[in-house]
Amino acid sequence: MSSIAFLKLAYTAAWIIYLGYLARILLRMKTVEAEREELERTTAKSAAALKHPVS
Amino acid sequence: MKKLAITSIVLIVALLGITSYFALAVAPTEATMGDVQRIFYYHVSSGWVGMLCFFVNFVASIVYLWKRSAASDALAEASAEVGVVFCGVLLLLGTLWAKPVWGIWWTWDARLTTTLVLWLIYVSYLVLRRFSAGGQTQVLAAAFAIFGFADVPIVYMSIRWFRTQHPSPVIGGGAGSGMAPAIWHVFLLTLVAFTILGAVFVWLRYKLATQEQALESAHAQAALKGVA
Repeated sequence: MSSIAFLKLAYTAAWIIYLGYLARILLRMKTVEAEREELERTTAKSAAALKHPVS
Repeated sequence: MKKLAITSIVLIVALLGITSYFALAVAPTEATMGDVQRIFYYHVSSGWVGMLCFFVNFVASIVYLWKRSAASDALAEASAEVGVVFCGVLLLLGTLWAKPVWGIWWTWDARLTTTLVLWLIYVSYLVLRRFSAGGQTQVLAAAFAIFGFADVPIVYMSIRWFRTQHPSPVIGGGAGSGMAPAIWHVFLLTLVAFTILGAVFVWLRYKLATQEQALESAHAQAALKGVA
């Protein structure tokens, strides 16, 4: 492998790791937000059910 | 969320693009090693940000033990994870530079070994945070981080204290050290850009850590009310 190949590999690897890490953070943020919304919905539904129980 | 994602992607791609352009197209070719020396710009800058993140983690851990604030714990977690990523890139790029220049991927000299140990310390820190059960996880992690940081000055001083395969310090290394002005200028630019890159990553990861804390406490409250 030529030294230029090592140079290209190094920069490509760095780009992939940094952008991959960014994608991981953003996807996790999206998941946490979705979980929070789901929890809020469940809490609101349960609160309503407690106020107006169906016999 | 969408705005934040687009802004951070644009910013990070721009920082990586500018630094790659200057390192690969603007910086002069080094006389001894040739073009492969250009790995230096990303290798050293990643190392700098990694060490800076571990320092932030060290300070945040002390603040956590002192004040027990959730914000300092989130900052400690964020900076450790970003530090592990940057330190990982430092090690990877080091091996990719070592092979064409030294003829070997790795050697157990003081600088390389202490850096690998440092990376493993912070990986262990993250594993501890992730898998430790019970209410004392944050306290344990903070104490672990304070002791773990002791390796950072050892990494820095290793090429001064020991004879190593790794080159002697280029900056502040005494007579014979230093860089050509054109290389120095590109290096400074890369260093500043990577510091901003690291700060963006820590900020994003800190934001995620605080969101996770809020979700965890919302789950706990819902469980108390008997909802979830």
